Amino acid sequence: MNCRECKEHLYEYLDREITPQIEQEIRQHLVECPPCGEEFDFEKLFLQFLQARCRAHGAPPELKRRILNELFDE
Amino acid sequence: MTPPIPPVPPAPPAPPAPPAPPAEGSAADAEKRASFEREALVHLDSLYRVALRLTGNPAEADDLVQETMLKAYRAWHQFERGTNAKGWLLTILRHAFINEYRRRTRHPETVDIDAIEPFSLFQEVQDDDPQGTFFDRIVDDEVLRAIDTLPEQFRETVVLSDVEGMSYEEIARVLEVPVGTVKSRLFRARRLLQQKLYDYAVGMGYIKGSST
Repeated sequence: MNCRECKEHLYEYLDREITPQIEQEIRQHLVECPPCGEEFDFEKLFLQFLQARCRAHGAPPELKRRILNELFDE
Repeated sequence: MTPPIPPVPPAPPAPPAPPAPPAEGSAADAEKRASFEREALVHLDSLYRVALRLTGNPAEADDLVQETMLKAYRAWHQFERGTNAKGWLLTILRHAFINEYRRRTRHPETVDIDAIEPFSLFQEVQDDDPQGTFFDRIVDDEVLRAIDTLPEQFRETVVLSDVEGMSYEEIARVLEVPVGTVKSRLFRARRLLQQKLYDYAVGMGYIKGSST
């Protein structure tokens, strides 16, 4: 696998949406090619950063009360 | 193979319907309520996060989620137990949004996908900050703002994937598009986000801008 082929699978690899065989080929390439390894590490960090910044927010407690009231007439 | 998503119930009139009549207190009602709380209400936070990004407005997000839960409860007998309740609920939510909210709030942008410049944040910062330490200085609100400025197709895809952690196939079913479309939207959405966050970080002086 060359660098271009490897990068085509960047997000599928990071999202774990790839066949075990291609995953293995990518992993092998990343070991042998530090620049690709660095880019994949960076992109992984970016996705973790997105998740961390967005997942903290949940539904307001009043909304849950409102819904329970409406559904179950509490 | 996963089963297809059960049909979404038809939309009621625009304003939220009056409360359901008081429960009779039968065992069936109790069971319905218990299973709904266990399998559907646990996804309230996810529904709210998605609703907030779709509507861009907390009050409308509240109404959209409440309406979704009401429709879901009425249609609960149609939900196939043991299948993906989160996907089922998000499908109901998205249909309600498209039918009743999008008209009033935002308009679906038409996106010229080819006009999107291929941007790679890594390419821009690899010399100065290849470890991405500047990410630490970008706060939640700034990331959410960047997501909110994405075209709707990209926004909903990136929220289901990166915020809600759904698989490509689950996202494809909720959005009713092929998996390949999910992949290409996700790629472009993430690169657009990178560009917006890069511009912001350069503007704030967190990283040096490139010469281009």
